[in-house]
Amino acid sequence: MSKKTDQDADAVSAHDLALHYGDTIVLKGIDLSLSRGRTLALLGPSGCGKTTLLRLVAGLLQPNRGTVRIAGQPVADAKTGFFAPPERRNLGMVFQDYALWPHLTVGGNVAFPLEMRGIARAEREARTMRALTRVGLEAYAGRRPSDLSGGQQQRVAIARAIVAEPQLILFDEPLSNLDRELRENMVGELAGLISELRLTAIYVTHDHAEALTLADEVAVMRAGEIAQLAAPDDLVARPASAEVADFLRLGGTARLSWRGGTWFLAGSDQAVAQEVAPSRGPEAQVLLPLAAVSLGAPSHKTLPARVVRSQFRGDGHLATVVLAGSPDVELQLLSAVRLRPGEQIGLSIDPGRIRWFGEESHNAQEKKVVTC
Amino acid sequence: MLKSIKGLVAGAVSTLLLAGVAHADITVYTAGPQSLIDKLAEGFTAETGVKVNVFQATTGKVMARIEAEAANPVVDVLISASWDTATDFAKRGWLVPYASPNAEKVPAFLKNDTAVAQGVSALGIAWNTKSGTPKPAEWSDLTKPEFKDLVNIPDPAQSGSSFELTAALAGQDDYRLFKDLKANGAVIAGANAEALNPVLQGAKAAVFGAVDYITFGNKAKGESIDVIFPQSGTVIAPRPVMILNWSKNQDEAKKFVDYILSDAGQALVAKTFLMPARSDVPADRPLIADLKLLNYDAAAVQGKRKEILQQVFDIFGAN
Amino acid sequence: MNAKDIGGVAPAAWFALGGLVVVVAVPFVAILCQAIFPEIGTGSFAKPFSLMGTTLADARLLRMTGNTVLLGTCVVIASSLLAIPLGVARALYRVPLAPVWDVLLLVPFMIPPYIATLGWIMTLQPRGYLEQLFGFNLASVLFSLLGMTLVMTFNTFPVVYFAVSRTVEAVGARYADVGRVFGATPARAFRRITLPLSAPGLAASLLLVFAAAIEEYGTPAALGRRAGFDVLVTGIDTRVGDWPIDLPGAATLSLLLVALSLAAFLLQRWILARRSYQTVNGKPQNADKRPLGYLKLPVLALFGAIAFLSTGVPMLAILATALSRTISGGLSPGNLTLDNFAAVFGNSAGALGALANSLTLGVATALLTGLIGIVSAYVVVKTRMRGRALIDIMTVLPNALPGIVVAVGLILAWNMPGLPFTPYNTGFILLLAYCCILVPHTARYATAAFVQIGDNLEAAARVFGATGAVAFRRILIPLVFPSLASAMLLVFALASRELVASVVVAPVGMQTIATFIWRQFEQGSVGLGMAMAFVTIFLTTLLPLLFLSLLRRSSLIRE
Repeated sequence: MSKKTDQDADAVSAHDLALHYGDTIVLKGIDLSLSRGRTLALLGPSGCGKTTLLRLVAGLLQPNRGTVRIAGQPVADAKTGFFAPPERRNLGMVFQDYALWPHLTVGGNVAFPLEMRGIARAEREARTMRALTRVGLEAYAGRRPSDLSGGQQQRVAIARAIVAEPQLILFDEPLSNLDRELRENMVGELAGLISELRLTAIYVTHDHAEALTLADEVAVMRAGEIAQLAAPDDLVARPASAEVADFLRLGGTARLSWRGGTWFLAGSDQAVAQEVAPSRGPEAQVLLPLAAVSLGAPSHKTLPARVVRSQFRGDGHLATVVLAGSPDVELQLLSAVRLRPGEQIGLSIDPGRIRWFGEESHNAQEKKVVTC
Repeated sequence: MLKSIKGLVAGAVSTLLLAGVAHADITVYTAGPQSLIDKLAEGFTAETGVKVNVFQATTGKVMARIEAEAANPVVDVLISASWDTATDFAKRGWLVPYASPNAEKVPAFLKNDTAVAQGVSALGIAWNTKSGTPKPAEWSDLTKPEFKDLVNIPDPAQSGSSFELTAALAGQDDYRLFKDLKANGAVIAGANAEALNPVLQGAKAAVFGAVDYITFGNKAKGESIDVIFPQSGTVIAPRPVMILNWSKNQDEAKKFVDYILSDAGQALVAKTFLMPARSDVPADRPLIADLKLLNYDAAAVQGKRKEILQQVFDIFGAN
Repeated sequence: MNAKDIGGVAPAAWFALGGLVVVVAVPFVAILCQAIFPEIGTGSFAKPFSLMGTTLADARLLRMTGNTVLLGTCVVIASSLLAIPLGVARALYRVPLAPVWDVLLLVPFMIPPYIATLGWIMTLQPRGYLEQLFGFNLASVLFSLLGMTLVMTFNTFPVVYFAVSRTVEAVGARYADVGRVFGATPARAFRRITLPLSAPGLAASLLLVFAAAIEEYGTPAALGRRAGFDVLVTGIDTRVGDWPIDLPGAATLSLLLVALSLAAFLLQRWILARRSYQTVNGKPQNADKRPLGYLKLPVLALFGAIAFLSTGVPMLAILATALSRTISGGLSPGNLTLDNFAAVFGNSAGALGALANSLTLGVATALLTGLIGIVSAYVVVKTRMRGRALIDIMTVLPNALPGIVVAVGLILAWNMPGLPFTPYNTGFILLLAYCCILVPHTARYATAAFVQIGDNLEAAARVFGATGAVAFRRILIPLVFPSLASAMLLVFALASRELVASVVVAPVGMQTIATFIWRQFEQGSVGLGMAMAFVTIFLTTLLPLLFLSLLRRSSLIRE
């Protein structure tokens, strides 16, 4: 349907996209755009609307409001009622449950998109084998999907998604049904595939590591809205809000209040930073990233804290601690030695690494009522 | 796969269409035997070229169909197993008067303006000759201890002639006979065939008031069964042929009535062990003249149908 | 979240709705109108409700209704007592000769109930086959509520048996084993875990048995009348079949019967709604089955006894009668003859024509109900269309409509004057009647199959370029086909022997197997009727089995 593809047009764009079922609001008005050859990750907790957004792009759902365009062409417009069904959107898609058709062979599954595009048998077979080879399953073309392991099945699903070289590929939490080790391998493979084939893709996931590894841009979604849309590096360096930072597990967040030239933890008399001046107002929401927190000897200079739990990570022990007097502030720190739960420690914080959130974004977050 | 399904459907459709009435010339509903109507239709078509479409069922089912079709009836000729139908339909004004030239030899009591008998059946005692019971001669013999629990009575609600026999006999002695039958373990057992089958196998020894021609047919097949017409009298059931006034093929319908009453038609009737309506056609069985008929007021009895049935059910109801 | 309103659904929905309206709603509304407007048969809407009161005020009505419910309940209880142990044994244990038992327990489906009843009568009545062989009879048992219950149970319990063995097999011994790990005895694990998990399938099959029992005609007519046990269906038949005809009364009683079935249906829904489980996902695994151990002989004996009673006795009685020269000749070598079979194959009285008609109608009914069933099940399960509840109801409603009611409704509806086209008096009217009576079977199987299919399988096809219609044909139909095929085979078998509606609506000049048999009985040729019955049962059992094995070989159906 995209015969006169506009080279300048975005591969996908959505404007003011909203969906609700009766009183249940699922999406509140999404705006986004994605350029050709780039990958957008939709990241968020379950129920945030990211899969709904993907299904709206796929044409598996119709929006109540707003428009979707693919390659510059409108495919859904709630105002005019125009709606292009999924089969006319030239897509590929990988589903969370693989959605391999159990009555077709592996080859039959992969060849299906080509068949639907009316491609002749000989070419169909060649391209099917090429796609299967790409995912390393050329030997399995004649088998039934049920004979394959989970990872193999997902590779078949990926081959099926790329075989027709669609203008856009949608990934709906494709790796969440796999175990961790397999998942980590597959993320690498997928990243290779995406960059090699220069795929334009939207990738839905609740795993921030996947999103940050695979995507050129990441949209963090919360409660039916995009909380922040940015490149992975920007997102890590400058999360727009405490919620985003929390979700990305960039460290602990805390509220500070400004008294007599010093920032204290809100509701306690623990001083956190002295030299740094407040940007706006007497209160601030801050992120204390892992890199800003280090272990110091318990003394008056350090913040007293208690270890809640500790977990081994490849490069040390990642400890979660709570600050004395502020039991709701959880910070993380990396320690070379193992810390025991319940142990009292002292923390020192590098004020230069504190990330100050803007008040306006903070207020905006407060207004957002979780509905989904 | 879809193509083959289409093919199958097309095949089925054409078969079904061919079974329809597209080329029907006359439509006959009959409560008489299927084999009789088949032969009559075959002979009639051979003689006149007019095709006959047949619907055969019990009188009740035939009536149900005519009633349900009342808004758009299709039947041209109706052959009922009960003369009441002729009376009732004439009262409703549904019948065409017709006097067939072949009906001359039909006795007056078997015809009127709008109906003429095709044949006549009578009721008798159907008795299993190997049942080890003494051969009954009278209705009342079936109340004897030898027939304890061995007598079936066709349901008078389901069989017109059975009703008439019941009414006629009950009128004579105010249901005494039926109370005695009940006391002797007789049961009411469905329509005619249902009552007869257990007698064939020997579960019962006799049917009280069996339709004779079916029993004669079974006897001819070699079943150990016989029909006894009691000297005290029985009832006959003339089977009226009628032409319906909505028929669009009245001429053909009249020809069909003529054929039924022709020599050939009456011979076919006689072969099914019915008494031919024409008195000049022979049959290999007792004829009306050989039977003593019970004397009763048919019209009065029909008027009290409901009460009489209720009486009978009150006697036999609680098994 | 379903893929809703994304095109391709609407035509399917319209097809389902249209098909169901023609097949189900039209005769039902005609009956409704007949009950309300007694003179509608002559095209008049005069005196609405004038006769309904009379019918409902009839003192016998309460007794008939009570008897109907009593009989239905007895058959349900007896069927569960018979079928649950067998089904559970079949599902959880390695029962020797299991496939043989399955086939033998399938045969009762294929025996027309009125034939089975007649077979039982000829076996158990005084001087029946039992007495001829062993010198005693059981007539007193046969002509009673107990006898009716048993005869009907032997006919319907396979529904429960197959439902139980399939669901319990799917639930598997696994969940029960988990229960035992946590300290439950085997009996307790079965009662607390396996049974509740199998409840939905069991309840659905029991509902079906109840519906079948309260609308069954042949058995109550043949056995119940002798026992003074009248039910609604025999009441309806009396009103339709006895002079004078009372169609409004029959229609009113039919509505009562519909109400009873609906009540049972709602009860089943209510029970299921309170305990709904999404468990049945696992594949049945033969390897999980355990040996019977010392129970092997008793279980085998039970299977043998039940199979003998439900299949053996009626079949032997049918065969014995068909092979007898005369009924009064009894079981003796001199009375043995093949004349009746020769008569069937010699096309006596149009036997072969009747066979051809019924088999054609059976195939056509199976295809049409298959199509309507699959489409309406799709709309009900996979879409959120408005009006799908209506479609759902229409696929269930015929369960409650006795054949004779459907037939009368069809005549009323399609024989109105002024219709530009009418199937009445053609074979199509039989097709419509059969489709109406049997569409619940395919719809139910297809619904169950669609519930098992993940939404994404269809969504994937759409995303990869298939239109709604192509996705339906290429993806969904093949996936539900295995379940649908068995339902369609059942429909084929049931349609090719349907009696009650056929007798009333068969076009003039057209015989079906059942009307042929019935006519032979009515006219005293019991042997010929039984020979035809035997041929029919043989064909309707063998053809579907053959068809299934062909499908398996062509791997359209995978085990």
